[in-house]
Amino acid sequence: MVPKPPKGHFNVLYFASASSFTSMESESLPAPLPLRKLFETLDEKHPGIKAKILNSCLVTVNLNYVDIPEKDDDPDQVTIEEGDEVAIIPPVSSG
Amino acid sequence: MDSQATELQDEGCYVGLTHDHLNAQDIMDRVRSPQAGAIVLFAGTTRDNFDGKPVKELQYSAYNPLALRTMITICKDMRAKHGLKSIAMVHRLGPVPIGEESILIAVSSPHRQAAWRAGEEALEECKSRVEVWKREEFGGEEGGVWRANRDGLPGEKIPDSAPTIPEDSGDGPFGPVIRPRRPGEKGHGAVVNPKPGQQD
Repeated sequence: MVPKPPKGHFNVLYFASASSFTSMESESLPAPLPLRKLFETLDEKHPGIKAKILNSCLVTVNLNYVDIPEKDDDPDQVTIEEGDEVAIIPPVSSG
Repeated sequence: MDSQATELQDEGCYVGLTHDHLNAQDIMDRVRSPQAGAIVLFAGTTRDNFDGKPVKELQYSAYNPLALRTMITICKDMRAKHGLKSIAMVHRLGPVPIGEESILIAVSSPHRQAAWRAGEEALEECKSRVEVWKREEFGGEEGGVWRANRDGLPGEKIPDSAPTIPEDSGDGPFGPVIRPRRPGEKGHGAVVNPKPGQQD
């Protein structure tokens, strides 16, 4: 069970290869954070994770899949807010 | 949604995640109906090798609330599309020894054809979408690897040079894409099955 993020933070959850890479299942990061900055923020904390893991992963915010804006002036900018639950979703392998 | 929940139900649909053994009789009884002329049961079992490489054990993990939500969405779609009486889907999590069931899907319908088709399609949808991950443990120093269903290969980044589906065309390399694009999908890159000697 993931603890609630501290005030002014959001949680990011790691599964499968993302969890192996970071050696953690979740962590709290300061909010707000523009979604387009998420991967570089995580790469600063876990050098190499962007190229090795994140570029083949999907992202959810509060259980909904989101597109990461590619450019700063992309019209649909999303901001990760305090208390949000962000998850890194590697390619799935049920069955 | 309760993030601790391990099951969800909706009219004629049941989905669950469990660390316990799966029971074929239980899931069949969940979809049993006097109006049904057929129950089709699929049991996925854990194989002892990947491409000939011995696998010692499998470990499954899930993003529970999202996996359950995706599973119930698939079940409701299948029930409506194939006119099922009922459908149930249960996935096991944690360590699953070789040869045991990791997933059960049961569907009931008035006639068998719809049940066969729905069972097959429900499994394929589950394997491509449900937020569950399988780790194959090889034992010894080799450790394990997170599998990816989309390509039968370990979950590695597909190189930028791999063929991609042009965003505007609506047609993929193998003809038109027949389902709408899902949000977030572009993050996974094009789904390709690289074969030795077939790269440009």
